[in-house]
Amino acid sequence: MPSRTVTVGSRTGLHARPAALFVAAAGSAPLPVKINVAGRKPVPANSMLSVLSLGAKCGTEVTITAEGDGADVVLDDLAALLARDLDAEEGGSDG
Amino acid sequence: MAEGLGALLDPAAIRLAETAADREAAIRRCGEVLVSVGAVQPAYVDAMLEREKSVSTYVGEGVAIPHGTLAGKETVLRDALAVLRFPAGVDWGGDRPVRVCVAIAARGDGHVEVLGELAQILLDPDRAAALRAATDQDTVYDLLTPIEETA
Repeated sequence: MPSRTVTVGSRTGLHARPAALFVAAAGSAPLPVKINVAGRKPVPANSMLSVLSLGAKCGTEVTITAEGDGADVVLDDLAALLARDLDAEEGGSDG
Repeated sequence: MAEGLGALLDPAAIRLAETAADREAAIRRCGEVLVSVGAVQPAYVDAMLEREKSVSTYVGEGVAIPHGTLAGKETVLRDALAVLRFPAGVDWGGDRPVRVCVAIAARGDGHVEVLGELAQILLDPDRAAALRAATDQDTVYDLLTPIEETA
């Protein structure tokens, strides 16, 4: 199954705003996407609670998987999103 | 893992019979409780409202997790949680009204693990329902500090 392993780039980790953006992107993908951290079972990437339950911090490696037509494109996009510091892009007041 | 949530939760920060007209009022109440237990300076409340404008902190299961922006971290005095229950529900724009707010004050990234623990609790529908229905502090405490399996 196609997969990408990527290091979480958001400085506060994969929760709150970065998690919300990722979950929304995964939810709008044409394929079901799963995400996991090493040693834990994959969970649906379109569920906020599931993604939060990973407890992934900045620098944590996560793996996303998807299967079907276009899986590679979907995974590339989501991997790029995970690698970015999504906290840095917030309304100008943070940083 | 068991020490995480419970260690951050002052009994005085568990409020089980709150009311709020709307989301902003609910967040202000959450912030006031964090201020009252000495976890944050009053300015943190504005950071919580700012965060909520940027992205909803609704996580599902009738639970929201209000917390400040990165810029608000300077007004955090110590890492802490507050649990506020709104029995009548507060419209949060999600799939159902919010009945429980778990407000978070955090300086570093330790709260990511805390959130992970909380999410695992809420992924269990029975425990999530019990949290929404909790009417005494001990129940909240027990739900948030699950006893490790000894088997």
